[in-house]
Amino acid sequence: MQRFLILPLAAALAICAFGQRGYQPPTGPAPRMADGKPDLSGVWQRPYVPDMTKTGPNQQGMAELPFTEWGAQQWKNYHAEKGDYAGACLPFGLPRSMNSPEPLQLMQNSKYVTLMFEQNTWYHVFPIDGRPHRDQTTWFGDSVGHWDGDTLVVDTVNFNGKTRLDTIGHPHSDQLHMTQRFTRTDLGHIAYEVTIDDPKTFTKPWKNTRTFTLRPDWELMEYSCEENNKSLWEGRIKVPKY
Amino acid sequence: MALCAAGGAAWAHHSFAAEFDGNKAIKLEGTLTKLEWANPHIWLYLDVKDASGAVAKWQCEGGAPNGLTRNGWSKDSLKSGDQVMIEGWLAKDGSRTCSARSVKMPDGHRIFAGSSNPDAKE
Repeated sequence: MQRFLILPLAAALAICAFGQRGYQPPTGPAPRMADGKPDLSGVWQRPYVPDMTKTGPNQQGMAELPFTEWGAQQWKNYHAEKGDYAGACLPFGLPRSMNSPEPLQLMQNSKYVTLMFEQNTWYHVFPIDGRPHRDQTTWFGDSVGHWDGDTLVVDTVNFNGKTRLDTIGHPHSDQLHMTQRFTRTDLGHIAYEVTIDDPKTFTKPWKNTRTFTLRPDWELMEYSCEENNKSLWEGRIKVPKY
Repeated sequence: MALCAAGGAAWAHHSFAAEFDGNKAIKLEGTLTKLEWANPHIWLYLDVKDASGAVAKWQCEGGAPNGLTRNGWSKDSLKSGDQVMIEGWLAKDGSRTCSARSVKMPDGHRIFAGSSNPDAKE
């Protein structure tokens, strides 16, 4: 019996030699820009969070979501087989993009920060120079950032309400106010915190906290969601009716 | 059994439950006829013979090429004619379609194929 257990393990270890287990990022202090602000640039490996209630490696979830009555109904009545916007390659929105499995590249200067998601080759760019929110409702929402000491705080509102928080489909409304905090704790890591404040869906704000890991050995790759989306074309995934 | 994966679990661009049934596990052994190496998911096509020798054509969805590449796969990992075994879950629509959890390669290695099932641990 023991032999049967050992053989698959050996196979798994052989595969892990290709991949990520045991990876150690470079060490050193957090780098800074010429203006003295922390430099968040890099390609970052993030925990894939298909369900924001779950806790796992580098991810602290919120086990019990404080649904309002409306929010609980939205969650209870969600059935992905009746309409799956992400499966249809529509924009994930900012919360679900932050939960996506593929890497994220961050770039910045003194006026803007750009989040470049490998997932579906989407980007999200926002000012950090004190400008107010624009009055535009979008899939990703409208973000403005500012520095709170060495932490970049990203404040996002004006969501269109057509997206879901995560892959499993936890709901939010167009009243969502999302706050993200990025702190480069050292060369190899970002401490990340996201707060979901949506009074239509939840009775109080709640958080997830995560750790991102620098991957200087990775480069972003193209990801065309539309190229071979057979499941949509063959009718197994349906476009939601909004 | 544990297999190694990029994010610690599946790579999914969409909800597994929209398309597949996590209660209907399947194991397919057959001859690979085509590997489509494209986003958002790779697709493996195989001919599966039953006891009488009749051939059924199956298609199985794997993960995104990007995550699979970082985990050691390439478009050349498999070629038409290879004998493979795929473990995964059936589609809900009753077609010969599956979500591939793992593929046993011709050399005997079983590798994580990137199923979108959130229960598809590495």
